Amino acid sequence: MTLLDYLQIPLFQRALLACAIAGSCLSLIGIVVIQFQLTVVRFALMHLSLLGGALGILIGTKPMWGAMIAIVIGSLLFGPLSSKINLEPAITGAFLMTGSLAAALMLFHVGGVPAMEVFGLFAGSILTLTALDFWLLGIVSLIIVSLFTLCYREIQLVLHDADQAQWLGVPVSTIRNSLLFLTGIAIGISMKLVGALLIDALLLLPAMAATRIAKTYKQLLVFSVLFGLICAVGGFILSLLLNLPTGATITMFGVLLLGICYLLKRK
Amino acid sequence: MSDFALELQQVCAGYGENPVINQLNFKAARGEFIAIIGSNGAGKSTLFRMILGLLPLSAGKIIIQSHQMDSKKDFDFIRTKIGFVPQGVQGGNLPITVLESVMLGNWGASFSYWRRPTAEDKEKAAKWLEYVGLTNLASKDCRRLSGGQRQRMNIARALIREPDILLLDEPITHLDKHSQEILYSLLAACRQQIPHLLILMITHQLEEAAPLTDRIYLMEKGQLIEVGEAP
Repeated sequence: MTLLDYLQIPLFQRALLACAIAGSCLSLIGIVVIQFQLTVVRFALMHLSLLGGALGILIGTKPMWGAMIAIVIGSLLFGPLSSKINLEPAITGAFLMTGSLAAALMLFHVGGVPAMEVFGLFAGSILTLTALDFWLLGIVSLIIVSLFTLCYREIQLVLHDADQAQWLGVPVSTIRNSLLFLTGIAIGISMKLVGALLIDALLLLPAMAATRIAKTYKQLLVFSVLFGLICAVGGFILSLLLNLPTGATITMFGVLLLGICYLLKRK
Repeated sequence: MSDFALELQQVCAGYGENPVINQLNFKAARGEFIAIIGSNGAGKSTLFRMILGLLPLSAGKIIIQSHQMDSKKDFDFIRTKIGFVPQGVQGGNLPITVLESVMLGNWGASFSYWRRPTAEDKEKAAKWLEYVGLTNLASKDCRRLSGGQRQRMNIARALIREPDILLLDEPITHLDKHSQEILYSLLAACRQQIPHLLILMITHQLEEAAPLTDRIYLMEKGQLIEVGEAP
């Protein structure tokens, strides 16, 4: 089959469009993950999704629903919880990660939940995207882009110097918690698109590459979107042409891009 | 109208159950340069947070240019009157030009949310960059600045609103000798050229800072104790 043949099929059309949307919009969230140093947080939310998945099976629903609900609750609580107990998000993340993993393993044992079915959450695929997943991705992407556009200077200030932003009257907590919430949702969606183990390809790698070569904030946003788009769409098309796994090909695209950016701009 | 730019009357503040500032009284006039010293945890930064309205008082009054600070609206007002340089020179990892960083100091005054910065904002930022001697670095990425250059940029950002009070939280700490000298010269120039500006500076390097200052205070047990007038 040629690429054009593939693109005649609605399933592949939807997947290509999803790659374009996810690649260009979710990479903006990668900037937040890098600047707030939330790499532990994304692991914490992934493990929380395991617990949610196990609970989902226990009460008789699909594990993905349980996982998504757990991620939504976790993301909503994450920012306020960190502020309330006065802990760095990374520390709160470590608590959540180990706690939720331990609770999930206990549920596997005590509740007789099939572990392999829950761990299946970690293996997403863009070709299994349902119409509901697609619309969810579209809505979340729209919210992310709108927030970055409407609060362009405010997000810039919070990421650049939170103390100064707070003193100037920027609603730092609201912006921070909104971004943390969207980060959680973006992680949940990425899990479905490329699988949990490869979410960095969509979220982190394009933003890391952009952070390396951008000189201004505007360049950072533009490069992140552009790199995310190139990785996701390029990886998807290449995977079709060469009959390779989609998630892994998208990730390889991201790794290559990051490598090139590091070579281009060595410190 | 009071002659004092800043008055603190019997103020108390702290975090949770722990009072850090305890019935503190303090007055400072326009144009004064005051150094505040004290051990770590003595409450120096807490004092600044309180003046800036970032930490609520549990008792007492803050009066800034005859305005008693009671509500959020009052603190919104003083944002136009106070410039603030936070502690630490280490910047984040966000790519942003020096000019843009200085311009952000004017957020809320002439631009915010859907109101975009104007050419006037950029001109103002360029003017203050020139003042601190960083014009040639205006388009440089902040991440590439040295500690001393970053502090001068922070001072330009604090001055962009042309404040009446400048709060400097350990601006000299972690800088090399040469950068310290440049910064002291800049602060001396500020004193001369902006005569009404009240400067409060938290510092650990009293010996170097003393020639610039009018008064020196020691922060201890939540109180400011005057330890002498500078030469």
